[in-house]
Amino acid sequence: MIANIVCSFVGTIAFSILFNVPSKYYKYCGFTGMVGWMCLYFCSGVIKGPFATFLATLLVVLCSRIFAVWRKCPITVFLISGIFPLVPGAAVYYTAYNFVMNDLSLATDSGIHALKTAFAIVLGIVFVVSIPRQWFSIEYWKSRVSKKRVVS
Amino acid sequence: MPNHEIVINEVQKDSEMHRVLELALEAGRVLLSNGAEIFRVEETIEHICKRFKIEEMDAFVMSNGIFLTAHDKGREIFAKVKHVPLAGTNLEIVTEVNNLSREISAGNVSVEEAFVRLRDIEQLPPKKNIELEMGAGIGSGVFCYLMGGNIYESIFTVLIGFLLYAIILFAARRQVSKIIINLVGGAFITVMALVVSNIPFPFEVTLDKMIIGCILPMIPGVAFVNAIRDIADSDFISGIVKLLDALLVFVYIAIGVGFVLSIYGGGLLL
Repeated sequence: MIANIVCSFVGTIAFSILFNVPSKYYKYCGFTGMVGWMCLYFCSGVIKGPFATFLATLLVVLCSRIFAVWRKCPITVFLISGIFPLVPGAAVYYTAYNFVMNDLSLATDSGIHALKTAFAIVLGIVFVVSIPRQWFSIEYWKSRVSKKRVVS
Repeated sequence: MPNHEIVINEVQKDSEMHRVLELALEAGRVLLSNGAEIFRVEETIEHICKRFKIEEMDAFVMSNGIFLTAHDKGREIFAKVKHVPLAGTNLEIVTEVNNLSREISAGNVSVEEAFVRLRDIEQLPPKKNIELEMGAGIGSGVFCYLMGGNIYESIFTVLIGFLLYAIILFAARRQVSKIIINLVGGAFITVMALVVSNIPFPFEVTLDKMIIGCILPMIPGVAFVNAIRDIADSDFISGIVKLLDALLVFVYIAIGVGFVLSIYGGGLLL
């Protein structure tokens, strides 16, 4: 379990280097990726694959939006690195493998699994991205509270 | 001659507005070519124009072009189409332009100053090749381990990922098309994994975990995520174009991997 935490943290940072993420954001990128992977890790065996990916994506996008508002930088920085551990790379490989090994039923199985996972990621991102931006800033909630006080 | 003065003033104002719009267009171009989403480009252009009191403007942004027009009291003062070829991703530049746009909106930066800073930002050096290669290698190895590979497989994956990215960077510098890069990349990792798994080691080395780890650095994460975000913002044209781009890369990788596997397994040789 500790190996999982460390590995997903380090791995996400390694991939964020590929996108030229500024080095001061590495730790946040790593944390975002770690949250996603640990969600998958705890869900495995309890919840079915694509739905677990959906939950993990929700967490990842939520994390990256909070970081984006907090550090005042584009959400893309955290989102792209954080999504990486969830990408169905294994399913793509097994699709290709079974396809050339002429095992078409297994190939379709893993192909459809890859598509389902991709759609789960899409849904997760769309859900959280549609939340209004000001909900993520503390000032907004503070001003709401003070407004309520004035009214009452 | 009051009439004359008015004309001079108008000309001066026009050229000032031109300069502002050029700045907005330039900022948009830098953002778009470094992997920003459509709505961020549109918003940045709008913010810059608003800050310098240009109210009647329209920006239409697509995944590889920006159309910008502006009016002032019914007179057309600016119309320009900018073609933005797809380039690599550099999130550092996106972040810096985003900060600059914030500062412009806050009113701390003049137009000429902003031009200078924009040029400086665009010339920010990208990460060194060796850093990118190390990143790809370590990332592949670590994810190979996470997907259930053992420690020896992971170490080989680090090496293969490192070499793979060296090849990708080498090819990208010579402007080899993306199709070829991904096909060859997929084939290369499969060949390397086959070689490693056929060496009789005292420990077990399996093929699939190594290939899965090495595929990851080639995955078009930026295109995929930006496509989804554009579609979520109803920028369907750009979203579909980027989604197709991402899907095709997946297909090319799969073809590269499958081609080598089928030769090895005898699928093509009957």
